[in-house]
Amino acid sequence: MDNQDVRPLFSPESDHASLVERSRGIKMAAEVGLARSSRDRHWSRALRRRLLLLRRGTASDDCGCQNEALTSSKVGGDMGVGANEEEAVEVEARVRALQRLVPGGEELGTERLFEETADYIEALRVQVSAMRALACLLDELRERRG
Amino acid sequence: MEKERFFGVNWQSMDAGMPPEMNSGAAAAAADQLPNSFLNLGWEQPMHHDVHFESALSSLVSSPSSNAPAGNDSVIIGELIGRLGSICNSGEVSPPSRYQSTNTSCYSTPLNSPPRLNLSTMDHQQQGRGGVPVPGNQMAAGKFSPFAADPGFTERAARFSCFGARGYPGLGGQFGLPEAGKLSRVSSSQSLKAVQLGASDNGKEVPVSEPERPETETRSKFGGEAEFGNSQEASSVSDRMTAVGAENNARKRKAASKGKAKGAPLSSSNMNPPKPSDGEKSDAKRCKPAETDGADKDAAVKPKTEENGDVGRKQGEEGNAKPPEPPKDYIHVRARRGQATDSHSLAERVRREKISERMKLLQDLVPGCNKVTGKALMLDEIINYVQSLQRQVEFLSMKLAALNPQLDFNMETLLPKDMHQALGQLPQQVYPLDMASTAFSYAQQLQGTPLQSLVTNSLDVQGSLNPLESSLRRPPTMQLPRLDGFADATSQLGNLWEDDLQYVVQMGLGQSQGTTAFSSQSMPVE
Repeated sequence: MDNQDVRPLFSPESDHASLVERSRGIKMAAEVGLARSSRDRHWSRALRRRLLLLRRGTASDDCGCQNEALTSSKVGGDMGVGANEEEAVEVEARVRALQRLVPGGEELGTERLFEETADYIEALRVQVSAMRALACLLDELRERRG
Repeated sequence: MEKERFFGVNWQSMDAGMPPEMNSGAAAAAADQLPNSFLNLGWEQPMHHDVHFESALSSLVSSPSSNAPAGNDSVIIGELIGRLGSICNSGEVSPPSRYQSTNTSCYSTPLNSPPRLNLSTMDHQQQGRGGVPVPGNQMAAGKFSPFAADPGFTERAARFSCFGARGYPGLGGQFGLPEAGKLSRVSSSQSLKAVQLGASDNGKEVPVSEPERPETETRSKFGGEAEFGNSQEASSVSDRMTAVGAENNARKRKAASKGKAKGAPLSSSNMNPPKPSDGEKSDAKRCKPAETDGADKDAAVKPKTEENGDVGRKQGEEGNAKPPEPPKDYIHVRARRGQATDSHSLAERVRREKISERMKLLQDLVPGCNKVTGKALMLDEIINYVQSLQRQVEFLSMKLAALNPQLDFNMETLLPKDMHQALGQLPQQVYPLDMASTAFSYAQQLQGTPLQSLVTNSLDVQGSLNPLESSLRRPPTMQLPRLDGFADATSQLGNLWEDDLQYVVQMGLGQSQGTTAFSSQSMPVE
């Protein structure tokens, strides 16, 4: 870091590509950290699988897809009784959206999905706060150096 | 300040409850403006439940700063270390602390002073270390003390909690330092859920534990409970966990909370047992009315049933409560009045209630969900929240990339080829650990100032602290992938407790970045 860079939030254009790359790399590191933070969770394992696949150059989500069929039946049955049809459909659509968001969610039934979601949310929160702290720390360092 | 603005973007709405202590704590850390801002920023987005913990942390950090010698790098270093440690701890400890706070809040009807407990806990920790969070043992011990200190509390907890009073003494030893749960977070979240369930409903079975993984739950619960030390509640939980772990998966979930409903009126509802969902459970189990304290301690032993607790509320009201009975392997579900009583309907009903229970948990996690009614809308909120968190991660990674142009991200080290094996050994770590390693390389470039070495050490500590924090729950084996430039790029960093911390503190004052900071003392996990 040279002292002239007071606050180069964005490097010159030529570095933009590298910035994007690096940010992707950092994001992947964050995901690894996230996955490691909660090893015994389904979403954590699914996330690891995904990262491993990415790393090895094959982004295959076959595992997730295979279980879609299973999932649909699970999801469908969960909200059916007691809710009218429209509601059930709406709810189901959202449950599916949530499944896509949570790593490994496609394989889970509604009930398990919610459990995993709760844990995933906690993990994300901590990850975000840690990253933020790290960013602040590094920021401070830069200020001090500069 | 930029940082503050940045922080302001976050879900500060949930920070409304931040206790005054935190701000005062932050203010107290006046030795250096820097740390102050850090403190404020760092804890601005704690969860609502973390309020107590955050305040504790702030006091923890601030106290060392006040003790530190005036004005110098040492102060700064101390602050930074403390901050990092706290951050790590907040990440790691918060779940359990959350548990505590929520737990206390749940039980606080009689107690009424959860914050006090947490703060006093934190005070215990401040004793030595210049802001560095004391090793998990101490921290745990500190946390134990408040709970243990209040016999009335423990008694009430025993009465209220589903765990009941079962064989605590044996459990205390188990937590000891153990290997307690693998996932503090898991345990905490479970505990949290349990607590929430208990609070909302009563009875507390450990909520949501994964049925398939009783062991995990056991461990995680241990981890979560470790903090409670010998408190009855904790022991009961651990007891339960032990039982769970020991016993089985095969057992059906029992209305764990069975005996222990907290809220008396609702307690009866609690007992509603979680019906085997998705075929996981087999028989219908009997849930005991919450009112029956202690009756079902054994039942509570059954694994994971958390779900039962909350669902119980509705069922309890419907007259599902039953007289206390000896624990059984199955749960009876009583049909509601005017509803079909065939097994399908019953199972379906129990299942739906379980799901509602889970949704309530999520509702508590996601800020702003309380005002929303209806499944669809709530799910909408949850989805939005998860998306926003993921976007924040992306944004922060972009920011970190911008901050550290020299950072070279090396996936090789982050995802070792033997990942699966490594995964088996990895203990719970600080989330940004991997990023910390990239930051290491960044810091590496900064040669010469004590602060920089401090940073590298701090970053290392950050990782170390995490395992320290979780050492109670499981043996800390921190493995920090190294980036190029370190002596052994492939070695994994182990973390130690006090030794490392002491070393780090000394290191902060200008030693070169040696491998000492990264001494790998991996302790075998599990």
